[in-house]
Amino acid sequence: MIALFRTELMKQFRRPRTYVALGTMVAVPIIITIALKLNPPGQGEGPDDLFFLSSSTGLIVPAASLVVMSRFLLIGVVSMFAGDAVASEASWGNLRALLTRPVKRGRLLAAKLSVVGLMTVLATALILISGLVAGVIAFGLHPLDIPFVNIHHSTGALLGDLVIAGVYVAWSLTGILTLGFMISTMTDSPGGAIGAAFGLYVTSAILDNITAIGPIRNVLPTHYFDAWTRLFTGHANTGDMWRGALLQIPYALIFGGMAWWWFRRKDILS
Amino acid sequence: MTTDGTTRGVGDEAEVVEVKGLTKRFSPTVLAVDDVSFTVERGSVCGLLGPNGAGKTTTLRMLLGLIRPTAGSSWVLGERMTPGAPVLYRVGNMIEQAAFVPYLSGMRNLELYWEAGGGELADADFDGALAVAGLGPAVDRKVKTYSQGMRQRLGLARALLGRPELLILDEPTNGLDPQEMKRLRDMFRELAVTGTTILLSTHLLAEVEQVCTHAVVMDKGALVTSGTVAELLGGSDSAYLEVEDVPTALRVLESMQGVRTATLEPPGIAIHLEGVTRAAVVTALVAAGVGVDTVMPRHRLEDAFFELLGEGTVR
Repeated sequence: MIALFRTELMKQFRRPRTYVALGTMVAVPIIITIALKLNPPGQGEGPDDLFFLSSSTGLIVPAASLVVMSRFLLIGVVSMFAGDAVASEASWGNLRALLTRPVKRGRLLAAKLSVVGLMTVLATALILISGLVAGVIAFGLHPLDIPFVNIHHSTGALLGDLVIAGVYVAWSLTGILTLGFMISTMTDSPGGAIGAAFGLYVTSAILDNITAIGPIRNVLPTHYFDAWTRLFTGHANTGDMWRGALLQIPYALIFGGMAWWWFRRKDILS
Repeated sequence: MTTDGTTRGVGDEAEVVEVKGLTKRFSPTVLAVDDVSFTVERGSVCGLLGPNGAGKTTTLRMLLGLIRPTAGSSWVLGERMTPGAPVLYRVGNMIEQAAFVPYLSGMRNLELYWEAGGGELADADFDGALAVAGLGPAVDRKVKTYSQGMRQRLGLARALLGRPELLILDEPTNGLDPQEMKRLRDMFRELAVTGTTILLSTHLLAEVEQVCTHAVVMDKGALVTSGTVAELLGGSDSAYLEVEDVPTALRVLESMQGVRTATLEPPGIAIHLEGVTRAAVVTALVAAGVGVDTVMPRHRLEDAFFELLGEGTVR
């Protein structure tokens, strides 16, 4: 199992594309910081806007970066890692060699899923680290203190909130990740699996915007996606964050379970 | 060892592969393998012969746990084959075109393949395998830069990495040039001498005649015949003729005592004899004024093979 995890991780880290994806996670927060520095946000956006807050302390820049990236680029990268996991090996034909090793298929899936999970955590962490370094260089390391809206966060509290935000965002991607992974076990086309994962996110986000559909929105995998941003704007709603975190569990169990069920029975024809 | 039905005693049984009633139905209309049974003895080189679509690859994939049989079972080295069965550690394989992780070097691909199965790099025969691949410094190049022949050779190296007791190879000479084919066939004979059992599929009758000790002939998913190649090549009571006047020749043959069947097989005629010699047939034809161009004895293996390729196939 550990040997499998190691070989799967090695495959990931010897792939040029991995570095392009992770490099993007590093580069975009830096670009955001430069843009904010060159063109500081005006006063009109209000304190709920993290970009508005980011000029007061570098510690808000990583959070602001995470908001924008978690809505698009991070989803894309996680969809890619998840959708590629099994289907890319099938598309190369290498899967038929890998599965003639004396290894149970469930174990191979577990190793691959662990690697995808690790890459998701890594991608999220890189956004925060890159934003933090760039933000502190550009705007300094200060506590957040905005008296007129009663926002007071110490430096230590902000750092703690960044960790919580990272963990929350990475975990909130579980539903999308496991769907991409499940489709990846079913198809020989990695593009299809990546598209399915990204499609789930887009569909969920669109449905979530239709208030008329009522309580159905509460079970959409992305409904509580941005709940963590309130950590920084002073009105933390931990109830929503818990609901958002727990909501991922049924998605993970259903998609992950179906991936396992399917792959163990699959005839390898690729 | 155990009595749970998945293991049978120690690993020195005569049958390295035992296939019993193996059947694979992909859909109600697609029956890829239909109730196939055969065995492969230790130290033999067994050719699985048949035209494209005969079910050879599906059979081999079932033997490696890649495809789940609809019915029947296969036993490899005394263990029942299931996906990822531990016995796969002792089996080398190459199924269809050898495929790899394209952005890794040939060497890295071999290492990852070996380690994924829980093996220590020190336990694998890298020197021997790389000598077979004969890739030289190219082994450190990315596989995506390899030619088809190079991939095929790297695939053989991968199959040999674990000094396997059983080699399962699907059309192993595909994509190789004639020199490489010859080298490979010599290697099979050498491996067989050292006790390695080889099961290879092919659509080339000549390949079976050249390298195999045993043959299993399949067509349309079903077993046609099986046995030792010597046995299948012996006892030639049939022949193939090419004559100047086919209609007259057919008339003569049909009325002749001892000719069981005479069937048109353009450009010639296939005959089955019973109690007469080929010479007697030629004499009769010449006496009837039919010039005989070619007379060739034909063996059971050829019979089986050409029969399943269908009448009217140009040889």
